[in-house]
Amino acid sequence: MSAAKRVQQWATFARTWHIFDCKWQDPYQSAEVIKKYLLGMHKPIYHPMNDCGDVVVCINSREIALRGNDWRQRAYFHHTGYPGGATWTLAWEVHNKDPTMIIKKAVYKAMRGNLQRRHTMQRLFIYPGEEIPEDIVQNVTNQIRQLRLVPTRLDHIDEEEVKKFPKVMDYPTDYVLK
Amino acid sequence: MSNKNLFLKSAFVRAPLQNGVGRYVCQLQRIVLKFCKSHGASRGIRDFIEQDLVDFSRQNPGVVVYLKPRRHRGPVLVAEYLNGDRVWMSVHNKTHSEITKWMEVLRTQQGDVAGARLKKYQYTDYPSVQGPWTPFTFKDPELNVATLPDPKFGANNRLSVSATEKLRLMFEKQKISEKDMKIGE
Amino acid sequence: MVFLTVANWVRARGPDEFWRKRRIFRLAAHYIGRRRNCYSVAVRNVHRALVYATKARKLKKQDMKDLWNTRILAACEQHNITAFSLKEGLDRANIMLDRKSLADLAAWEPQTFKCLAAVAQEKLRLDGFIDGTDKKEPTGINLNLKDVMLEAWLKEKK
Repeated sequence: MSAAKRVQQWATFARTWHIFDCKWQDPYQSAEVIKKYLLGMHKPIYHPMNDCGDVVVCINSREIALRGNDWRQRAYFHHTGYPGGATWTLAWEVHNKDPTMIIKKAVYKAMRGNLQRRHTMQRLFIYPGEEIPEDIVQNVTNQIRQLRLVPTRLDHIDEEEVKKFPKVMDYPTDYVLK
Repeated sequence: MSNKNLFLKSAFVRAPLQNGVGRYVCQLQRIVLKFCKSHGASRGIRDFIEQDLVDFSRQNPGVVVYLKPRRHRGPVLVAEYLNGDRVWMSVHNKTHSEITKWMEVLRTQQGDVAGARLKKYQYTDYPSVQGPWTPFTFKDPELNVATLPDPKFGANNRLSVSATEKLRLMFEKQKISEKDMKIGE
Repeated sequence: MVFLTVANWVRARGPDEFWRKRRIFRLAAHYIGRRRNCYSVAVRNVHRALVYATKARKLKKQDMKDLWNTRILAACEQHNITAFSLKEGLDRANIMLDRKSLADLAAWEPQTFKCLAAVAQEKLRLDGFIDGTDKKEPTGINLNLKDVMLEAWLKEKK
């Protein structure tokens, strides 16, 4: 292999580090996107047997959004292996205990169960907040686009901005605001 | 390690040392014609030996030709090549013209080509003109100087226009048109 | 032994038992242990392998199709075009490339693929075609067409 070809090979199979902001994102839908980057399915050179998966760093996993009443209703199952060792933990309990767990499990479930899965998971970094270790930040060269827009709260917008915003109609005088 | 190649080896199309580009070296080194002098199955090969063999060896001085008559055995061609391949071929009941063609095949091929399955029917040293795809091929150059995470690169840019935004647009348009009206007056 | 009834013929499988077994052993040559050395075990495994091989002939084609689809989708996402509109646009522009060639172009000749995506998008725009699968407004990379003749060629009635 000539030197030029060798460099070409390095370039083609170079690992990129992506960052993904989980703020206000549905973990189960984002998992499909993250999975694609972890497995390298976003590259036209993809093949299940070549090692072209990238690294994904998830931040703000504490601020994920579940749909409907999933926080109260969704249960995570675990079995210790002993009789009577089954436990069902609700999503909010899991999230209180470990804010990275829900997104981690979602990505793990999104991938096919094969020998590669656990090694692929090693390339996923999840952080509950904005703070990331310095050695990881300096590797990041790309950002994955979020699926949903992060809504801005009304009380976080300037008073003047709110006043300038066009009104469709005024409330009637006898209307009682809750 | 798998030994799936026990049935049939697989290989790529190739010419040894770019044979045929500029110069050609006949890869066939030695050919042995085994036949019976009396048996009917050797009829074709006997005809070939009588009529064409002298011409064949004259035209190919680099090929050693052996004749091996043997009693009541089937007729056989054995060809040996520069790369050490040995091709054994039965020519039982083959006619004169068939044997002529098979001799041509054995003479021109560059080894035991029938002993390998071709993985691809084409081969190139230069698979790409523009250079193969790399993660950097279509990368946005702005990302090189951006400090990530940045909402500019992180926000979804493929959402359809929301109702609020549509109303906002209508409002802005209306304001502009009102301004124009005033200027017109 | 003389066979007098038809029932006895059932067990007789021909005179060349050695060669019959040899044929099976050839196919079992790459197995491990008794599967390659004992005929009764080998023949079962060889038959199963042949059944798998028969099924795999079809599966291989499906797998390749899936792989090409994944690659084309990946390449399309880079150029902000859906795989559906790429196909629709290329069909309308009379560019009849199959999945394999498109996937090969995406990996080996990426600039060509970019142009193809641009052609497809331009053709759809000229035809006023609305991609039903992509309700979103593509606002990403703007694929500029610099070729003047191309527009005339796309507008031609085909």
